[in-house]
Amino acid sequence: MIDVIRDAISQIRGLITPPRYLSWQTLLLLSLFSWLMATLAEVGGATPFTVTVLSTGSWLFLTVAIWWGLSLNPVMIGDISISPWITAAVICVFVFNPWTTERMQLAMGFWPVIATLLVAIPHFFHWNFDWTLPPASVRQDLIVLLLVNLLLSSWILFYFRVQHWFNDYPSLIAENLDNSAFVYRFGADTNNASQADLLLSSAATSLAQQLNDTPWPRVERWLLNLDNSIDSVADNIVLNAAKERVFWSLDAPRPQSLSNGYQLRLRANWLGPTAKQNGYYAEKVCTILPRTLQPRGSAEGQPEQPEQPAPTPVAQVTCSEETTEVERSA
Amino acid sequence: MGELEPVFPFRAVLFQILFLLVAIALEAMVLRQKLRLGYQQSVQYATAINLLAVVVGWFTFLAVEPLVDPRLQAQVISYVLFDNLLNNTLKPQMGWIILVTGLIAFFMTLILKLKGLELIMRAIGTWDVPAQPKELTRTQRYARSRTGTTQYQQAASQFAIAVLQANALSFSAILLLLVVRAYILGGVT
Repeated sequence: MIDVIRDAISQIRGLITPPRYLSWQTLLLLSLFSWLMATLAEVGGATPFTVTVLSTGSWLFLTVAIWWGLSLNPVMIGDISISPWITAAVICVFVFNPWTTERMQLAMGFWPVIATLLVAIPHFFHWNFDWTLPPASVRQDLIVLLLVNLLLSSWILFYFRVQHWFNDYPSLIAENLDNSAFVYRFGADTNNASQADLLLSSAATSLAQQLNDTPWPRVERWLLNLDNSIDSVADNIVLNAAKERVFWSLDAPRPQSLSNGYQLRLRANWLGPTAKQNGYYAEKVCTILPRTLQPRGSAEGQPEQPEQPAPTPVAQVTCSEETTEVERSA
Repeated sequence: MGELEPVFPFRAVLFQILFLLVAIALEAMVLRQKLRLGYQQSVQYATAINLLAVVVGWFTFLAVEPLVDPRLQAQVISYVLFDNLLNNTLKPQMGWIILVTGLIAFFMTLILKLKGLELIMRAIGTWDVPAQPKELTRTQRYARSRTGTTQYQQAASQFAIAVLQANALSFSAILLLLVVRAYILGGVT
């Protein structure tokens, strides 16, 4: 066991011990040293400037060491060396360091182009940094290489654009993507539901706010003028993704009369892109019932005073918890 | 942006590689015959100009897509994600829009391929279509008045016609593949 560890250690030592002064291992050690110094400086409370300089130096040494080391020992997949992409990835991690979403997308987009530059630059310079034009065949290969890597960049950027759509219009994730000629979903269809439930819950809250505790005659007038009333409900809807609002329209069919109140179906119509042939809508059922307020001062058990007029009933809205999605028929 | 969905444009990549291979094979054939190039050289030129065309096409799409009318954007999303056209107020015009976009794409790729191939050949040093000098020699002027063109104009137009034919052939082949996919294998409704 100990022999195995000792062997491994001696192998690693053999790998990172510089064979000459000028070698990638030297740079790797310099990078480690610089990183160690940066850590020490940070612990020791040096100025942020010193820490930045030291850690930047560490990154630079590491990048060049990896570039150098990989160009001596290329990582091959088939006949293609993927070393430039590895080095470019290290550079991208370094250059786009605070990893916010936009910077990460930029980094991924630039990655193949930086890899191309890494391949191209050695062809344009002598060892003593003299500018030189590579031979025609090399120039032609470099042009094709650049274009291939730009194509890779566009694919990566297209991937992010599709993600952007899902972010703007989250109901799209719930759809079936099998028909697409562009994208493929890995893994089973997720259990993501469309935003219909959220939208209808928000509409139900708004409805309850408008109608709860309003006198019953006014509620009946509200229901008579349903088209305008629904618009006022729709104005108060709050969605997670504000942009998706354009793809939803809220309406309600004529309310059904119950024995004493009404049943109203809030219906959210999806107007946006969908895999379903004729689109779909989602519904939530709300019941609006009259409720008689106890007149003030009368406690339970006491007989009602006959001289007081019957109080006006007010409305009470209760909406079902679940939302049903219905696919339209032709 | 929230979490990333495991939805990757792999089908687009596959179709793109397939269409590129078809276009490169056909265009290399035309360039080889019309420009009298070597076999390997014509394949390399065809590869370079087609890659140039798709790269410029992708970047144009990525730049223009957020700027267009939201209704058209919805149609694009619908086509990309669900392979159908959305039934919105723009649907009746979609046929025209696709046709006009296709025509613009054809002529833009033609210009790109003409200029791109010229630039690539200049970069490599194999550009042998001579530019017309300011002053024609006496015999050249005589030939022009006899035939109506100069040897320079003829060389340039031969080059342009070769690229035009190559472009038209590859566009037709890809259009045919798209039609086969849509109507014979069952797709767009």
